[in-house]
Amino acid sequence: MTIRNREQRTAWLFLLPALLLLLFVFGYPIARAFWLSLFTQNLGTKLQPVFSGVDNYIRMAGDGRFWQSFWTTIGLTVTTVSLELLLGLSIALVLNQRFFGRGVVRTIAILPWALPTALIGLAWAWIFHDQFGVVNDILLRLGLIRTGINWLGEPTLALIAVIFADVWKTTPFVSILLLAGLQSISPDLYEAHVIDGATPWQSFYQITLPLLMPQILIAMLFRFAQTFGVFDLIMVMTGGGPGGATEVVSLYIYSTVMRYLDFGYGAALVVVTFLLLITSVAIASFLLQKSRTSLGSS
Amino acid sequence: MFYLEPLNQLPKILQKLKSLAAVFLAVLLLGIIRLCIPQALSQGPVVINLLLTAPDAESWKQGIVKDFEAKNPGIRINLIEGPNATNLLEDLYTSAFILGDSPYDLINMDVIWTPKFAAAGWLLDLSDRMTKEELAAFSPKDIEGGSIEGKLYRIPMRSDVGVLYYRKDLLQQAAFQPPETFADLLKISLALQKQGKINWGYVWQGRQYEGLAAMFVEVLQGFGGFWVNPNTLEVGLDQPETLHTIAFLKETIQKGVSPPGVTTYIEEDTRRFFQSGQTAFLRSWLYVWPLSNAADSPIKGKIAIKPMVGATSDTGGACLGGWGLGIAKSSKHPEEAWKAIQYFTSEEAQRQFVLNSGFVPSRRSLFTDPQIVAKYPHYPKLLEIEDRAILRPPIAQYAQTSDILQRYLSAALTNRMTPESAMKAAAVETRRLLGSREWGF
Repeated sequence: MTIRNREQRTAWLFLLPALLLLLFVFGYPIARAFWLSLFTQNLGTKLQPVFSGVDNYIRMAGDGRFWQSFWTTIGLTVTTVSLELLLGLSIALVLNQRFFGRGVVRTIAILPWALPTALIGLAWAWIFHDQFGVVNDILLRLGLIRTGINWLGEPTLALIAVIFADVWKTTPFVSILLLAGLQSISPDLYEAHVIDGATPWQSFYQITLPLLMPQILIAMLFRFAQTFGVFDLIMVMTGGGPGGATEVVSLYIYSTVMRYLDFGYGAALVVVTFLLLITSVAIASFLLQKSRTSLGSS
Repeated sequence: MFYLEPLNQLPKILQKLKSLAAVFLAVLLLGIIRLCIPQALSQGPVVINLLLTAPDAESWKQGIVKDFEAKNPGIRINLIEGPNATNLLEDLYTSAFILGDSPYDLINMDVIWTPKFAAAGWLLDLSDRMTKEELAAFSPKDIEGGSIEGKLYRIPMRSDVGVLYYRKDLLQQAAFQPPETFADLLKISLALQKQGKINWGYVWQGRQYEGLAAMFVEVLQGFGGFWVNPNTLEVGLDQPETLHTIAFLKETIQKGVSPPGVTTYIEEDTRRFFQSGQTAFLRSWLYVWPLSNAADSPIKGKIAIKPMVGATSDTGGACLGGWGLGIAKSSKHPEEAWKAIQYFTSEEAQRQFVLNSGFVPSRRSLFTDPQIVAKYPHYPKLLEIEDRAILRPPIAQYAQTSDILQRYLSAALTNRMTPESAMKAAAVETRRLLGSREWGF
């Protein structure tokens, strides 16, 4: 046995507890959900599991509500993550500058992220309330509208309100991640670049963005996975309404399991959502890897 | 000798350990003794837990619970005040049941939950506890709504039905009889609107939520259609009667009888419309009556009720709502819980409950009880409407069935789909859900 082999074996031994834990915490539930998804277990079968093969998956293909909630989730995720990256980067750039009271501002900027989501959901539901909400009050006072807008009662407006709240809540997370990345970029690079005659815009595009790319991708990955599974904020703010306009996949799964007691079908929904999420994350990781290697080689 | 120090202390430590062990043993012994004493021997009263919405709990606390406890010193009713939204209450029950050991003994149920809770095996079968004669004291539909597959799980406590409210003053002034058909309803509304007496004719609940399904079954009944046959699980949503129903509802908006926003209204939106005097007709539940007849109501004393109108004559249905009591299968005190149900649904307790709270009783005799009629003169009329009551399909998978209907009905009413394609899709999804493997692809 070569030293290398022996070292590898030791490494696996060290990894074993963590792997077992992962298997237990992630592997088992997913395998269990997959197994359950092959059964019909609902009120129609008196909650007894009856093997039904891929019936649940066929049913899903023709389930208009699933697809509606799926596209809502995709739309919500793409919009909020893009907005968060844009805003988060701007805030990180500001917080990276030296100015008086920077520490205080940095602390305040992280505050929305630190507050419990359910409370934030309640607060935003009140802010967007059609009768007593602050948003309508401001718009009325400014003379922009005559009567209060029913924000959470109209499908498009409700979606906008939810996006607004989610962006407000999680932009700080993105900006903190990006701020850490910014601080790891050496000021010498900028100095040299300026001496070479670069404008601030050029510095941003040629130094900041490429060197920040790994952090941007990590932030994107995190936020993508989180927004894809968002539950609490929407549950509290709109409950998925009006008329299912803000119903995301996680809310639909909740209804299927908790309200309909349709465990088999709920499991099928979980499995498909999981596979879709894994696929997206795999693509993002691939991009991440690629950007790292390209940075390493340049 | 520093390192020997601990050794010197060994006896002391042992001593300490001994006393610790003694304490431990004593606690253990006490625990065992406590466990060994039979429950009956321990002197405390049996506590029966009952979850209610917080505002409902108020009206229980004042009278019937106190009286029951006074009559049954060994039993205490613990009212747990839950959230005001009934769907949250249902979630609380459900999660407690799924986890197995439900903390609730008495289950206060909306009529549409009963089949689900029963099918899931969470409720105690009450069939043998009441005779046919005893059950005849309640409205037959109320009993049917609490039964599944011939077994009874829920004893009705509070009745509720959907009714048609109308402004008798306006109708009298314009010399109209109360409407009998959908056509009458439109005709009278348009005439009154033309006279400038009201802005709108008729308001109903059109938002995508459970209220839409309740409103829908009443009109559907008027056109002679059906949603789901609970016995055969046949689905009637793609039948012509359903399309007539949707056509009528859309007509109310197209003709300007109902405001365009009616497709976003829930009960309270429509009540405010009606109570502010802006409309002649309203479809709603019984809670509107006391509010619209309150001292500060502009339409106080000017309203009357009748069952929902029909297509050819008075054939519309009155959607059954209301609350009833069941017993959790996991309850450790089913006998005491049954005693409580017996008392709460007794004539004596109900009379007091109704007089105190203004709710509607479940016992038929109380609708014409002199004491109650003196306070609520419209109750005898309600009994007539109760006889026209119809159930939303009492099937285990009702919640899912209703959500499918709501989604597609709302799409049809707001012109996102044609009624034909919406109802075809709703029928296909419902059939698929209710299990027949003929999926109609």
